[in-house]
Amino acid sequence: MTARPATIPPRTIELPAAGRFAFLRTQRAASFALIAPALAFLALMTQAPFVLTVWYSFRQWVLTEPDIPHKWVGFANFKYELTQDPIFRQAIYNTLEFTAGIVGGSLVLGLGFALLLNRSFPLRGVARALMIAPFFVMPTVNAVVQKNLFLNPIFGLVNWVWTSIGFHRVDWLAVHPKLSIMGMAVWQWAPFMMLILLAGLQGIPDEVREAARIDGAGPFTEFRRVTIPLLGPYFQLAVLLGLIYILQLFGEIFVATQGGPGTETTTIPYYIYQTISTANDVGASSAQGVLAIIFSAVIATLLLRLLLRTFRTEVTA
Amino acid sequence: MIRARIRPGTLGLNLLTYLIALLVFFPILWTVLTAFKTEADAASVPPVIWFHATLSEFRAVLDSNYLSYFENSAIIAGGSTVLALAFGLPAAYSLAFNPSKYTPRVLSWVLSTKMLPAVGALIPLIVIYKRVGLFDSRFGMILLYAAFNLPLVIWMMRSFFADLPREVIEAATVDGAGFFRILALVVLPLSAPGLAATALLSLIFSWNEFLLAVNLTSVNAATLPVFISGFMTSEGLFWAKMSAASTMAVAPVIIAGWMAQRSLVRGLTFGAVK
Repeated sequence: MTARPATIPPRTIELPAAGRFAFLRTQRAASFALIAPALAFLALMTQAPFVLTVWYSFRQWVLTEPDIPHKWVGFANFKYELTQDPIFRQAIYNTLEFTAGIVGGSLVLGLGFALLLNRSFPLRGVARALMIAPFFVMPTVNAVVQKNLFLNPIFGLVNWVWTSIGFHRVDWLAVHPKLSIMGMAVWQWAPFMMLILLAGLQGIPDEVREAARIDGAGPFTEFRRVTIPLLGPYFQLAVLLGLIYILQLFGEIFVATQGGPGTETTTIPYYIYQTISTANDVGASSAQGVLAIIFSAVIATLLLRLLLRTFRTEVTA
Repeated sequence: MIRARIRPGTLGLNLLTYLIALLVFFPILWTVLTAFKTEADAASVPPVIWFHATLSEFRAVLDSNYLSYFENSAIIAGGSTVLALAFGLPAAYSLAFNPSKYTPRVLSWVLSTKMLPAVGALIPLIVIYKRVGLFDSRFGMILLYAAFNLPLVIWMMRSFFADLPREVIEAATVDGAGFFRILALVVLPLSAPGLAATALLSLIFSWNEFLLAVNLTSVNAATLPVFISGFMTSEGLFWAKMSAASTMAVAPVIIAGWMAQRSLVRGLTFGAVK
């Protein structure tokens, strides 16, 4: 921590006029009173359910079968999910494939968009506004519109273009379900990547670029040796945030494929939804939930470390 | 300063940028256009580009129960944003102006709640909400969305508060102003654009949320994403109506997003990138 400027008064200062909030006058009590309600609310609404998910995951409990006793079954639910349930394994695999494809695809497109926008040209603001718009579209609208207006095998726009240029009609969601979902999600997430990378590009000082050019670097070398390395932290941030959100992919799948055909697009969140809403199995779906949490926690730890590093440099700067 | 000579490649790159921008925006534009078509025009192959615009599908959507979903969305998004600000602003104020050795730990814990998948909390929420009567209630959804947006409010507002000159707050404190007066009369007016962006982002996330909405509501508190998902089986039958409903659901969010543009990156990265 840096030293405070001398003009700032000491930590506890004498205030005039006592009132109902007199207890707020000591700094520490004030800080506590301001922060505690938020933390308590957050813990109650988000952490308590996680703890309960863990508790439920050790129990046998089917909502529609009140005759089966709710009993403690140890790790049986986990054992079943990890060793016997073929759909859960498929769901893990699908989730990984979707996440890699969507994060990768939107990162590449987002970088391209960001490079195009990181120049001065007329109507730059309009172009930027048009390009970020997909990020605000709600996932269910995205899926329902793409599924019908664009990917419908008979009336869809994509097949009209596809057959116009001489190919045969394709039922995209039936034949290439993963690719179709990835396309929808990349359309939404490329703008997100673009925004973060564009902020990074704008942070590269002109002097650095100029120095590279004076040293004889062409545009390609400059891109590879200057732009990409200096964008490093922004890439990390974009990828980790993207992973956190895209691992939770649900709305697109719910609307566009319902996890099918078969289980080809069943992700972990979608499978958990199915386990609780059709099988009504609290124990099994909770065990799946716990596994999903562990999955995400690994990534979250990495992200937090990164964000805190940024936060510390900001504080000590 | 010497003006750069226009390079031959520049014009080409500009045109490419415009083309890509239009291509990226096209699905939204097409949905809006389809909303103004008749059902016959909407599903015609080849697609009709010049058509007689009609508002009849918007009217059809409004005549159905669309407005009750819209009302739920507005009340739940608005209520949860107000609640998240009520909890988050004091916390952000304290974390920004009175940092202690616990501040980084508090901040990272707050953010960690946002990192875990909502689906991991889903099962107990369904069980408990049904038991305590919050299932399918607007109030239950307001509580949940407020909690899910609270980390955003705390991180983003802390970062905006930290940008304010400390002297202003010190002066107000010495003048005898209490916390609520400093917040309302000094801090919030100075960080108004940041507050607006934070509120808009919170509204957008609540408005678009689907997983919790579809699992924790049925008839009374269902929001627009749930209503829209009902169109998933409309095979070329109600495309114009579907597009009209989608346009009305998405337009407010896109406009809000454009308004929050300047602070968007900051919000999406929890204040890490300015």
